[in-house]
Amino acid sequence: MSIEVKTTVPGNIWKVLVQEGDDVKKDDILFIMEVMKTEVNHQSPIDGKIIKVNIHNDQEAVEPGTVAIIID
Amino acid sequence: MKVKDFNMIKVIKKGLETSVQDYPGRIGTLNQGFPPSGPMDSWSFRLANVLVENDPGAPALECQFMGPSIKFENDMVIAITGADMDPKIDDEPIPLWESIEVKKDQILEMSFATIGARSYIAFSGGIDSELWLGSRSTFHKAGVGGIDGKAIQDGQHIPINKSKSKIGRKIKKDSIPEFSKNKKWVIDVVKGPNDDWIDDNGHKMFLNSEWKLQSKSDRTGYRLDGPNWTFTEKATNKGLEHGAEPSNIIDQGYPIGAINIAGQTPIILVNDGPSMGGFIVPYTVPSAAFWKLGQAKPGDILTFREVSLEKAQEMRLEQTLICSEKSIISSSFVEKQNIKKQNIKIDKIKIIDFDKERKKEKIREKIIEKKGMKSIKVRFFN
Repeated sequence: MSIEVKTTVPGNIWKVLVQEGDDVKKDDILFIMEVMKTEVNHQSPIDGKIIKVNIHNDQEAVEPGTVAIIID
Repeated sequence: MKVKDFNMIKVIKKGLETSVQDYPGRIGTLNQGFPPSGPMDSWSFRLANVLVENDPGAPALECQFMGPSIKFENDMVIAITGADMDPKIDDEPIPLWESIEVKKDQILEMSFATIGARSYIAFSGGIDSELWLGSRSTFHKAGVGGIDGKAIQDGQHIPINKSKSKIGRKIKKDSIPEFSKNKKWVIDVVKGPNDDWIDDNGHKMFLNSEWKLQSKSDRTGYRLDGPNWTFTEKATNKGLEHGAEPSNIIDQGYPIGAINIAGQTPIILVNDGPSMGGFIVPYTVPSAAFWKLGQAKPGDILTFREVSLEKAQEMRLEQTLICSEKSIISSSFVEKQNIKKQNIKIDKIKIIDFDKERKKEKIREKIIEKKGMKSIKVRFFN
């Protein structure tokens, strides 16, 4: 079953820390957003494999609720 | 000594940055370098307090972009206003702009802001935190005010003064600020104090351009992306003491809401902004327009509309009048509505009717009030 990881704040994508095909563990940081000069970590909700990365470094003005990463 | 008795809430998840604020904040201390702080959208903030029968300026929580999860350790009355962060009590959605009763051990959960950017949670009785220079507002850059000078933290207990409030109090629709749904905001500005450093083209450019709010914006300053400024000779041919850039000026005091030109980047200095510096300020956002800044998200487009100082003061007064008991839908009105609802028992009767030539059938739906048939509404369907 695949799970979508959505952005939780509006802002810029500062760093994407995973690539498609990577294995991740629950609570691993997948990507970091920047809003209000604050870094907001987005963690993996499950153990799994990254099957899709929809965001890239320095992407600007990303809406909250955007599907950023899909994990299987 | 008698120990003061409080209600308590416990922070389960702090949200992105949730802080205690009061209104109008820390006034009269800008000369010591302390900005007013306080809620960015003081309109929504004050209405939250009015709903739970607090003083409009009582200390409450400002939640930015992503709200907190809070456990109530006593029964109390709360109200949530401002941005919609999909608030839920024990997984049941609750309405905004209404006073609500919460029970001991219930949990309030909030998500990210869908419309607007900042939500306000007021608790009947108000938050009890220490006064610092006359205000309870958090100014976290200096680590003062609020709870320990910071945004609230996971696991923290926050004391709430004991007080009672009616539940089901609602705000009149006309009194609720209208948030942009298309990511565009028209922000009022007053000219000055350094408007004579910008030339005519520069002024036209500013008022006719769209400005994008950067993610590198916070309660200190709102950075904007847009076209370049052009200057008068006052800016380009000046004494060395002012500095090299056209937008440099010898250090001066900044008004709250100053649109500061740093090189070519306008930065609106908001609630936690600096008190002085060496950049020119061609325009100032009046306090009555701050609520729009408070509800704008990074990536939103701002345009600016010039208003007179008198108009700005009028708008401020108007907002103050709105943020009062006048905006509450009176409970007697609500009761009347309820009574009316109970009395009306409606029968729907479909009747077939003919036009003059008796050729075409018309179906009518008659709605008849049973008691006394005082009002009959007839709907025609073609």
